[in-house]
Amino acid sequence: MTERVLIIPCSGIGKVLGSVSREAAFRVLEELRPGETETLCLARLTLGDPDAQEEVRAHPVITVDGCTKGCARVNVEQAGGRPAASFCAAETFRRHRELRPTSVLDLGPGGKALAGRLAEEIAVQVDRLLHAPEDRDA
Amino acid sequence: MPDLPQKKVGLIACSGEDHPLGTLSRVAVRLVLERLRPNDTVTLCLPLFLAGEQGERAFARFYPTIAVDACGVGCAARATARYSGPVVRAINLEQLLAGLGIEVKASWKHDLDEEGLAVAWEVAEIIARQVDRILGKEGREVSPEEPAAVGEVATCSCGSGIPVLRLNVDGRTWELLAVPAIFSLFREQGRAPSRQVASELLAQTRLYNAISPQEEGELLDILEVAYRDFWEGRLKV
Repeated sequence: MTERVLIIPCSGIGKVLGSVSREAAFRVLEELRPGETETLCLARLTLGDPDAQEEVRAHPVITVDGCTKGCARVNVEQAGGRPAASFCAAETFRRHRELRPTSVLDLGPGGKALAGRLAEEIAVQVDRLLHAPEDRDA
Repeated sequence: MPDLPQKKVGLIACSGEDHPLGTLSRVAVRLVLERLRPNDTVTLCLPLFLAGEQGERAFARFYPTIAVDACGVGCAARATARYSGPVVRAINLEQLLAGLGIEVKASWKHDLDEEGLAVAWEVAEIIARQVDRILGKEGREVSPEEPAAVGEVATCSCGSGIPVLRLNVDGRTWELLAVPAIFSLFREQGRAPSRQVASELLAQTRLYNAISPQEEGELLDILEVAYRDFWEGRLKV
């Protein structure tokens, strides 16, 4: 299987859950599913970069937003891509209120654990897109 | 004066997730927002220019804005100019760090180590000096400051809404910053619509919008009609 899934996180710096979404995305890219996932700069989509637009049209995409503004999802859609799945860190936090991030610059133990939970959910979705479910556990 | 957000300097980070300097741009901007110039800066997430609303697209027309890009593609500067307004300063971190003789580590893409954090502070100080220059406050010490009030740290402008009035008149769309707040203020003051009030509205509108002398006559008529509609409840702003 040579297909790779594009993981595109929120790039916001205004809210702490934006940092959680990025941390989760990097965990999937570097630790959980390296070699099966890639990312691209969301800002390139905002700019209307033709190469970035082509990439989101050609690959399965998972967007990972921090808040309900959904910038990653909306920018992918406006570039002509159709996210195969969309996650939102705010939704994960709603289910894990005990995992409270500290700040945008320093997520702290709670924020890192929250990012870990979100990363696991994303990895499951990557497997669904690339493999039959029995191929591998998350 | 109408009740509008305080004039600050806008900071837009490229925040490229796929570039070793994306995280550094984010951290440096955040250090300025939180630590160095908490009372004088505001930010907006770059992708909100597409995902957001009119008030968010008005960002760079209201706040003089510095774009902090990781690389020469210049997404922050170019996208801000395309969807909001031209930036007053554009920083290219690749170029800046090369000039300072700083070697970039690939591992900075995800996390900054101690060395990366020191570089982020150096960049933050450069940005803070640019902020001071734009605000005419050169010579201030570049060291951590306390925010003026609790809750005013690192303001994210999303949803705070720079008020914009959008009017379609004879095939032209006018996007007028601050006019909803100006209309509300005039109504609160009991200023009934008239030609004289329209002239005063135009004078206030000119403070927040670039209006050429050729446009003034037409805009005076437009404001007079729009304010009358607002006053009589036919126009919601």
